[in-house]
Amino acid sequence: MRKETILPESKDTAFRDLIIKSPGGEKIPTCMQCGICAGSCPVSHEMDYTPRQLVRMIQLGLRKEVLNSNTVWICTTCFSCSVRCPRGIHPTELMETLKPIAMSEGIRNKNAKFDNVFSDVIKKNGRASEFLLISKYSLSEPGMIKQAPFGFSLFSKGKLPLSVDKMEDTGELDAIFKLGEKTEEKAETKTNPGKKETGEKENAEPETEK
Amino acid sequence: MPENEPAQKKIGVYLCRCGGNIGDVIDLQAVADSLKRENVIVNIQDYLCSSAGQEKIKNDIEKGKTDRALIGSCSPKLHLETFRSMAKNAGLNPSLLEITNIREQASWVHDKESKESVNSKARGLIKGAVARISSIEALVPLEKKLVDRTLVVGGGIAGITTALELADGHEVMLIEKQPYLGGHMIGLSKTFPTLDCSQCILTPKMVAVHNHPGITMLTQTEVADVKGSAGDYSITLKHSPRYVDIKKCISCGACARKCPSGAIFLPFAQAVPQAYMIDMSKCKNCGACVKVCPRDAIDLDAKETTSSVSVGAVAIATGFEPINPSFIEEYNYPAPNLLTAVQFEEMLSAKSKTGMRLQKADGTFPDRVAFVLCAGSRDFTGRGKKYCSKVCCIYSQKQAQLVKKMKEDAEAWIFYIDMRSAGRRFEEFYHHTQEKGVNYVRGKVAEIIPQKDSTLMVQYEDTNLGMKGREIFDMVVLCPALVPSAGTKELADKLGVPLGDDGFVEEKHVKLDPVNTLNQSVFAAGCVLGPKDIHDSVTEGISAAHKVSQFLGKGMILIPPEKPMILECNGCGDCVKACPYNALALEGGKAVLSPLACTGCGVCVPACPIKGIEIRNFTRNQLKTQLKAILGEGPGVIVFIDPYAYAAADIAGVNRRQYSSLIRFVSVPSIHILDADVINAAFEHGASGVMLIEGTTDEKLTSRSDELYKKLKKDTRKHKKPLRYSHIETAQYEKLTDLLNVFAAQAGAKAEKRSRKEQADEKESAAE
Ligand SMILES: Cc1cc2nc3c(=O)[nH]c(=O)nc-3n(C[C@H](O)[C@H](O)[C@H](O)COP(=O)(O)OP(=O)(O)OC[C@H]3O[C@@H](n4cnc5c(N)ncnc54)[C@H](O)[C@@H]3O)c2cc1C
Ligand code: SF4
Ligand code: SF4
Ligand code: SF4
Ligand code: SF4
Repeated sequence: MRKETILPESKDTAFRDLIIKSPGGEKIPTCMQCGICAGSCPVSHEMDYTPRQLVRMIQLGLRKEVLNSNTVWICTTCFSCSVRCPRGIHPTELMETLKPIAMSEGIRNKNAKFDNVFSDVIKKNGRASEFLLISKYSLSEPGMIKQAPFGFSLFSKGKLPLSVDKMEDTGELDAIFKLGEKTEEKAETKTNPGKKETGEKENAEPETEK
Repeated sequence: MPENEPAQKKIGVYLCRCGGNIGDVIDLQAVADSLKRENVIVNIQDYLCSSAGQEKIKNDIEKGKTDRALIGSCSPKLHLETFRSMAKNAGLNPSLLEITNIREQASWVHDKESKESVNSKARGLIKGAVARISSIEALVPLEKKLVDRTLVVGGGIAGITTALELADGHEVMLIEKQPYLGGHMIGLSKTFPTLDCSQCILTPKMVAVHNHPGITMLTQTEVADVKGSAGDYSITLKHSPRYVDIKKCISCGACARKCPSGAIFLPFAQAVPQAYMIDMSKCKNCGACVKVCPRDAIDLDAKETTSSVSVGAVAIATGFEPINPSFIEEYNYPAPNLLTAVQFEEMLSAKSKTGMRLQKADGTFPDRVAFVLCAGSRDFTGRGKKYCSKVCCIYSQKQAQLVKKMKEDAEAWIFYIDMRSAGRRFEEFYHHTQEKGVNYVRGKVAEIIPQKDSTLMVQYEDTNLGMKGREIFDMVVLCPALVPSAGTKELADKLGVPLGDDGFVEEKHVKLDPVNTLNQSVFAAGCVLGPKDIHDSVTEGISAAHKVSQFLGKGMILIPPEKPMILECNGCGDCVKACPYNALALEGGKAVLSPLACTGCGVCVPACPIKGIEIRNFTRNQLKTQLKAILGEGPGVIVFIDPYAYAAADIAGVNRRQYSSLIRFVSVPSIHILDADVINAAFEHGASGVMLIEGTTDEKLTSRSDELYKKLKKDTRKHKKPLRYSHIETAQYEKLTDLLNVFAAQAGAKAEKRSRKEQADEKESAAE
């Protein structure tokens, strides 16, 4: 990973303040970098910044790095970090705060894409379908072609059924999605009043291959 | 009667800006201007406590410009004594100088509210205080003879030091809960930072205590009850049975050789006192030991006994204990080879049960040892303790060094968040431990998982690298948060000593009076004042001994003169029955007070059916005058507060806990002096609510509070305004501010409702 220098201009205090003021964010300034969150996290080794580092970057207001990191998308919402943090910080909740902000800025790294595909499938069918998930995700993520042989072997063992199990009445579900979209819009106007820089962010995918 | 004194009192009001601490928030000039019609002289200074500030007041007194001084400044707990001794030197009776707290209880806690609301509070408080000071009488403190004997509670290094330092000049009784002296130090291996062996430096001190003619040492002894008052306590001690007479036993061991169940033993070879003891849970009551003892020292029927001792001073040195780490689920304590640092030390100490060998559960040496720091410390979630336990960073490095010393190729890992090694010789100690090849990992351990083979898996993030790691260890040592010994609270309550919100004894002043408590005859030393090392415990032991000696050296104690005066008496005896301290008696058909037994609690005041009793300088009329003046400057909530709760309000101030500026504290020696007359007056003068806040832990008073509150509630009902009672101990300042806010809001809402209703009623009657 290329290392950058933290310069006065890399810090976005408005972004930092916004996160600190969001629900559960007020304790972020008291993080002592003990690392029990990252040590407890079952997936921190897959993240380009551990939860501890993410909290640190927020303390500094490193907006670009925070929003482009895959951390928020890798998080499984297991809450291990949150129950153990001795300062009462809620990294799990922090991830939830950051996701809509990253989306509204049009940040689409491969982990975010997976989240998108997943929610699309649910939105349409009301239920998850491994087949749809994998095929749609492969279309948007060319790197997935490498996984094709594995997919075929799963398919041949009957682990990837083609039939899609649909929900009968998706009324309530639709309402939930509508609500979500509204929140997203709000996040957008809050963080980005007026300006749109989506194009640039498209290429800002961090190098996370491990 | 003070009310009849001639009226030309020359009151000097001195207001302190306290740099900007007060002056930036409160408009002191406006306060001064509001006093124009009061016939007082007003003076504003930057720092009244400075020599220039004090000189000004002194001059005014000496020149006859002032014969009563009111100071508006920081809490009286800080400088009242200083100002009063200045007043005394200048020829003024000290009781005619008072302080109104406009810093901890105003400028520091309302700086987020509107200027006007804070200013009107300040004006009210000062005007109330002016009214009060013109109404009080000059009193002379009473003198009581001190008992020249000190009780030292706790026989750890702090208590031992206090006792030895005192004993050459004063009689000392040292009591210890355990069957032997030494506290935690006798369970230590080597001692940082110099690595001398703990028992080698401690044993001579324990023996000195044992042999000192001025020290009576009692083990297996605790305080059961405390009677009397500062300077003259009668303390009941409780002794649990040892079944072996310490004075007779010569430690020959004949008994232990005959005992079939290993129930009789010497705690350990160097134990002081040197005497066997019986573990009754193991004893079969066969009497074999009794028969064989050459000195007839054993009594299997011994029972718990009590005794009584009178003392003038008490030094609390009850130390600490490690928190039980089992509440940290992710560490899975207890498990084989997962120990606390205290258990690790004991294995290598005088108390060792393994022949001073470090060993795993299976008896072999652990080749890989991990030390897990901050286990339960530095935690702000309520799960652990907020504070840093201070000694673990250093002792864990000592322990790691010992591992390396015992086996050079053994591995010792220290998992830390911040390596705290401040102070003389400590950074060198850290450096030396690094040189020994100890492995330091910066990261709080996330999980400890016991494995089937009794090893332990430790999972963590190496925060310097941002990488997660897992290691297998033979032994894992948890460095637990250190908490006050069990029973600290009960003991402190009995002695009327407040604790901090961390449970440790509160110092009289954190920096300037570190071994005095808020009770003038009780002192403290060592870890009961917070975690610390031996060096600091000893320093405090020496300091406490000095302070005790200074206190007892005066021979006399001054006790507050605010006692009841019996103005009218029909001999009914109600007050005699009510007094919780037997300070009143009927003589010749009239109630008579013994002032030295009286604590000034005021229970007798509302007890007298003909209102014949008043507390000096806190009479009904004096309180009413003060209330009227306070409320004349705008509406507010009157909060009667006793000295213990007052201290909580001060701590809230020091911590800048904001609360409603409607709150007006009125300091009273105890809330039990109040009756409906006073509360009704507060309501009549415009209080939107009244609170009674009591902080004393004296059960003789708190057990009456509920009844008092119910009675007051009934007798003030006609005003339809809220009245509330709360018990707030000194440590509970956060609860205090929360309560004040809730109550102020309630009282405000009620007042608004009332005024809306009144307006509506008016309209209605106008329409009619
Ligand atoms: C694992 C560990 C290692 C340490 N290593 C070092 C070191 O190497 N060097 C160093 O300088 N410091 C070290 N310390 C710190 C050291 O132990 C303390 O500074 C010291 O023991 C404090 O002495 P104390 O007398 O205040 O308290 P304690 O040692 O706790 O003694 C208090 C005594 O009071 C008794 N007691 C408690 N309650 C009552 C009661 N109600 N009535 C009667 N008696 C009562 C207790 O039984 C005890 O004997 C270490 C601490 C720990 C936890
Ligand atoms: S556990 Fe809490 S305090 Fe520790 S690094 Fe993570 S967020 Fe910070
Ligand atoms: S909630 Fe997310 S960040 Fe926290 S430990 Fe679980 S996966 Fe890791
Ligand atoms: S002394 Fe060190 S290990 Fe102990 S609580 Fe403080 S920081 Fe943690
Ligand atoms: S003030 Fe209290 S202690 Fe004193 S006489 Fe009255 S009731 Fe008794």
